[in-house]
Amino acid sequence: MQALRVLGIESTCDETAAAVVEADAAGRGKILSNAVLSQIAEHAAYGGVVPEIAARAHIDALDPLIRRALDEAGCTLADIDAVAAAAGPGLIGGVMIGLTMGKAIALATKKPFVAVNHLEGHALTPRLTDGVEFPYLLLLVSGGHSQLISVEGVGEYRRLGSTVDDALGEAFDKAAKLLGLPYPGGPQVEKAAALGDPERFEFPRPMAGRRNPDFSFSGLKTAVRLEAEKIAPLTDQDVFDLCASFQAAAVDVIVDRCRAALRLLAEKPPTALVAAGGVAANGAIRRGLARLCLESGLQLALPPIGLCSDNGAMIAWAGLERFRLGFVDGMDFAARPRWPLDSRQDPRWHGKA
Amino acid sequence: MRVLAIDTSLPAVSVCIYDGDAQQVVVRETLPMQKGHAEALMPMMERVQRLGGGFASLDRVAVTVGPGSFTGIRIGVAAARGIALACGIKAVGVSTLAALATPLLFSADELIVVAAIDASHGNVFLSAYNSNGRVLTSPRLISLSDACRLLATGQVIATGSGAEGLRETARALGQEILVDHCEAWPDIAAVAKLGAAADPETAPARPLYLKAPDVTLSGRAALPRAVS
Ligand SMILES: Nc1ncnc2c1ncn2[C@@H]1O[C@H](COP(=O)(O)OP(=O)(O)O)[C@@H](O)[C@H]1O
Ligand SMILES: [Mg+2]
Repeated sequence: MQALRVLGIESTCDETAAAVVEADAAGRGKILSNAVLSQIAEHAAYGGVVPEIAARAHIDALDPLIRRALDEAGCTLADIDAVAAAAGPGLIGGVMIGLTMGKAIALATKKPFVAVNHLEGHALTPRLTDGVEFPYLLLLVSGGHSQLISVEGVGEYRRLGSTVDDALGEAFDKAAKLLGLPYPGGPQVEKAAALGDPERFEFPRPMAGRRNPDFSFSGLKTAVRLEAEKIAPLTDQDVFDLCASFQAAAVDVIVDRCRAALRLLAEKPPTALVAAGGVAANGAIRRGLARLCLESGLQLALPPIGLCSDNGAMIAWAGLERFRLGFVDGMDFAARPRWPLDSRQDPRWHGKA
Repeated sequence: MRVLAIDTSLPAVSVCIYDGDAQQVVVRETLPMQKGHAEALMPMMERVQRLGGGFASLDRVAVTVGPGSFTGIRIGVAAARGIALACGIKAVGVSTLAALATPLLFSADELIVVAAIDASHGNVFLSAYNSNGRVLTSPRLISLSDACRLLATGQVIATGSGAEGLRETARALGQEILVDHCEAWPDIAAVAKLGAAADPETAPARPLYLKAPDVTLSGRAALPRAVS
């Protein structure tokens, strides 16, 4: 195998990011640079990502960030073998910026261009960080997605389960908003939960025990609201206890759903359980998964926190894996605001991800 | 100087390569479209550069920075900055309004040239120039009636998608405005010429929106907190 270097560009949501990733002759991955600029401050006042604000921030920040990524990697575009950009799913205005700039750089340097599915970036990250072999079970939990996926090869993804309503990150964010915690809510809920009593409130564990490894979080979110309304006005301790009880329910659900997925895969067990997406940064969830893997003797691959949320390294790596197999894309590749990893759809997912 | 010019700010996608020394367009292409700019731009770029001597021959990239469609502007700017980065050359921004006005300047009639882009709800993005190209009214978002008041003195010729609306509003106020009936998007050669003359320090390839982002706040409010 030949050593390869790929530039990756990410602009699908509220992080502008660029990175250079390398695979050595043995195929082992290494991050040479990973420049991320979060727009959290720009959106905080609105309590969520505002698409037009995000797009304006991406266009201002992206090319300086690409220069920085190249500088930090100690290379120039001449040392790059291919350019990869996330082409969706995400906010179309932002996606188009990274996709267009990526194509422009590839065309002007006569390098191959690779369009990457942002979710594939998350899905393949553990191969970059831990060299995990196919097939593995991926728990993808972010602001927009809650899925369990059997990753069987590059481009070979089989969705085992999905949320039927809210994504887990969305539930964390909505709970935080309700409790008056600042945006983005996920990390704030985790902080508050650390000071609270997880047993004070008995919240439901939606879907627990079901055979299909699906998720549902809207009922949990509603339960938090109803309990909180009952005891409002809320003291700090109330908020801590609500967060702790909510998070405990979320962890139980995640572990139970992973178990259900592992049962489906019992015939041909995965090499590892892998978590990705912003919510995979949550310590309680990480500990829950560690317990599950310990008792089932499964390898656990948790990307470092910085690689759970959106970043350029995951796009560069997914681009590298695709390029290595001969997948390249043309200048006419269109942005895909909706782009499921697998073509399989199940009516019980209501088109949710 | 060889300039690559890009415009995706209005209902068309245009690319050209312009030879500033010969003052000639080497190769150009324009496709009118309401949407699909992002999909059309890079394949067009590929064709134009192939016929125009490749990227290595370029000294500069010029791009219309608006006003216009926010998404369209950003697509052009993203492409321009990407090419500038890849080729180690400068990207410069050209006002869409200045590019629209350019073909009407330096005529014998000494008219005031107004470039106006329809911004819906009775508004236009507008800029006015004297016949020598000096800016009389800098680019702004303005209501049609305010625009007519501003232009009340002097003989005016208007161009762009907002020109017709401007004429009708002026007529209702008892003013007469000439309308230049050319396309609703700039001549890409004008973009290239303005780009060749621009100073990269003062004309960055940065979007000129002239309008704050639309923000709709949603979701439930937080529950009341106990005062401690
Ligand atoms: N420590 C944490 N605990 C729980 N949720 C978290 C934590 N850190 C981040 N999140 C959540 O992760 C989501 C963002 O992750 P990201 O992968 O960027 O999602 P997306 O790209 O789908 O928006 C947000 O909903 C955020 O609240
Ligand atoms: Mg993500």
